This record gives sequence, structure tokens and C-alpha cells, in this order.
Amino acid sequence: MAPPSAPNPQPQGLPRAYAVRSERERVLEAMVRVAAAKGYEATTVADVVEYADVSLAAFEEMFESKEACFLEAYDAVFDVLVAHVTAAFEAAAEEPWPEQIAAGLGALVDLLSQEADIARMAMVEVTAAGDDARSRYRAALARFTPFLEQGRTYSGQGEALPADTARFAVGGATSMIFDEVRAGRGPELKRILPDLVFAVLMPYLGPEAAEDEMRRVTRES
Amino acid sequence: MGKQAATKVLAGAEGTGSIREVDSFPQAPMLELVDSPKREKILAGMLEEVGSSGYDSTSVRTVLARTGLYRQAFYDNFSDKDDCYRVAFAAGVARLEALAAAAAASQETWRPKLRAGLGAVLDFLDAEPDVGRALFVEVHAAGPEALARRAEAMKKAADFIDLARLEASEGDSPPRIAPEGIVAGIHAVIHSRLSTGAEEGFRALLPEFMYFAVLPYFGADAASAEMQAARA
Repeated sequence: MAPPSAPNPQPQGLPRAYAVRSERERVLEAMVRVAAAKGYEATTVADVVEYADVSLAAFEEMFESKEACFLEAYDAVFDVLVAHVTAAFEAAAEEPWPEQIAAGLGALVDLLSQEADIARMAMVEVTAAGDDARSRYRAALARFTPFLEQGRTYSGQGEALPADTARFAVGGATSMIFDEVRAGRGPELKRILPDLVFAVLMPYLGPEAAEDEMRRVTRES
Repeated sequence: MGKQAATKVLAGAEGTGSIREVDSFPQAPMLELVDSPKREKILAGMLEEVGSSGYDSTSVRTVLARTGLYRQAFYDNFSDKDDCYRVAFAAGVARLEALAAAAAASQETWRPKLRAGLGAVLDFLDAEPDVGRALFVEVHAAGPEALARRAEAMKKAADFIDLARLEASEGDSPPRIAPEGIVAGIHAVIHSRLSTGAEEGFRALLPEFMYFAVLPYFGADAASAEMQAARA
């Protein structure tokens, strides 16, 4: 049997559905790689088809357009990010909330720094890919909100905190990540982990407590 | 809102009437002196059209339909849609900066200055949500130049916010505050409202924005007091 990366793999004896699924996955991955390398605007269906080594007809059978393909790839990529962060947050369930947040951010930064293409696609190119992509991006970031909003209880401030606290915290942190990745410093993203921790905790806990946690993270990294 | 208001908004950035005001804002870029009401009308129409229909659905034709001008007036001033939007974007950002700076200039100290400057931006968004969308949400359509211009505007806002250090009592101000993060957080809240189609309610965000800006420099008690004060 041909390895999955070989051209036109036609696994012998496997049901047709398997081949379809694997073509789809190859196309989705190709979209991530090509969009990260060339930018979303410059990416064409022909590029994606060539990278994935599938026929144009196969692409068109699976996706209505370049945008539809990008959106599906985006959802898949973000599912991985959210699963990764959730696992780290939950693994730290015994720790106080600020440490849980630091663990989740650490996992995010780890994954993004190892997967430069994922980082570029998930955090940068998505903002250039039109209205639907931007609303997916907003919805995707909102999936981190439940972790953050536990800070209302932890801080004892509850509803006294501004309604948009989570959005503000996520906005500050994603903007730092966006700048680093866009400037090509994605692989060194770990360096800004302490700043990300501060940016996310500060709106909930105030500057002193956020700085304490930032110091702890700096010591441990 | 509508054409008239947007034209007024842009008049300050490009028109003759603005020069004195812009001069009083030293960080504002040098602006070309162009005495062309048609040009201003097209720029205003472009921002409104992009903000209400999205950049992709905007065409020279739809902009002209909005302004009631002929094709020739457009091509006398701009080479194409992209060119026009780039100019309109830069003029719109400059105007917004000038509005904020003028409002802040009427106050003496950091907190009232910030309240006034932010308030002016939010009032602008309530008056012209479509222009706001063109400037905040559709920026990517205007290319890397526009992204750089936005970064510059956000840097100016961050530098202003960081002047709080001068007023925070000594040792009180944690060294690692990134004012860029405060601006980015506020920007994210505005961006989210605009891109989900909000047409009003921006002014009501002022108290929480003041909370977020005051908190890192002066602590939770001062931030809560400021939020209450801004609500009044």
C-alpha cells in the first residue's frame, strides 16, 4: 500500500469512502500549507489541488469554492487548537485559576510555535479571508471565553467586572500573537508567554496579581 | 447620518477647512491640500459604501450611485476602486485621530483627556457606523499600507495611554504594562460590535473602556471609581 504522502494513493481493498475522506484531508491540509505560504488572497484552487495531488474535479466535488475549503480547513485547525488548550487547562484543574490560564496559554503558544503554518492560517490569514472567515474567527476565539470567565468567580468580582472583559482580554492577547506571527517570529512565540499571561489575567485580577503570575511563569520557563 | 455627515467627517481630513485644526495635532501626517468637493464626496461615499456593503461588493458604480456623480468625476481623481479606498481609508483615520486629539486637548489631565478622546471616537461610531466599519473592519481590503497606518494609529493611542505613568504615584506603576495590549483589547471590543452590524450603543462602552485603561496603572479601586464616574 502506498504511504499517504505518495501521489494518488489508492489504498487497495479499502472502501471508497476511505479514499474520499483521505482526499478531503489532503486538500484541507494543502489549503493550510498554501494559504500560510502565499497568503489567502494569492492562493488559488489550482495551487491547492496541485499541493494535495488531487484532480480539480475531485476538489470541485468536495468544495463549492476556495473560500468554502478555507473555512472548513479553518474549523479543523481551530478544533485542534481548542482541544489542545482545553486539555492543558483541565490537566491543571487542581491549580488556582491563574495557573490554569497560564497552562492553557502555554499549550497554545507551544502548538503555534511548532506549527508555523497553523499559526499563520489561524491567527493572520483568517482576518484577510472575508466576512464569513472573520465571523468564524470571532466564534473560534469565543470558545476560549468559558475558561476566562471563571476569573469572575476567582476574583470575587463577579458581575462587577465589565461585560466585555473576556473580549478585551482575548483581544489584547491575540493582537500580540498576530504581530509576532505576522512578523515571522511565530517559532519564538514562547518568548511572549509571560506577556500573554499578564494581558489575559490583568483585566480580571488587576496589575499586582497578574504580575505575580507573570513572574512565576517567567521563572518556570 | 448619511452622505452629509460623512462628508463633514472627511472634510477636515482632506479639505481646506481642516488645515488649522490638523496643524494643532502635531502627530497628524501632512495632508495634501486638495480643494475638491467632488473628491471629498467620492471619498465619503466610498467609506459609506464599503462599510454598508463590504469591500468586495463595492464597485465604482455603486459608489457613484451613492454620490450622484458621473464616472468622469471618479476617474479624474482616482485610478480605480483600490486607489480610492486607500486614499479614503487614510483620510478617515486621520480625521478620527484629529477628532480624538481635539477632544482630549480641551482637558487638563490624563483621565479627563482619555475620557474625552475615547468619547469622541465612540460618538463618531454612533453617528457614522458605516464609516466606522469601513475603517475598523474592512481595513484588510485596503492592503498592507492600510494595515501599517492602522498600526501607527494604535501606537499613537498606546503612547497616549502610557502617559498615565507620569500620574501614577511612584512605584505604583508596574513596569510590564503593555499599553499596546490595552489598545488592542479596546479595539477588539469595537471591532466585534462593528462587524456584527451594530449601529449604535458605542458611547455606552466608555465606562468599561475607562476601567480597562485605568486598571493597570492605578489598580482596581481607582478603575471601579472611574467606571462609575464615566457612567454618570
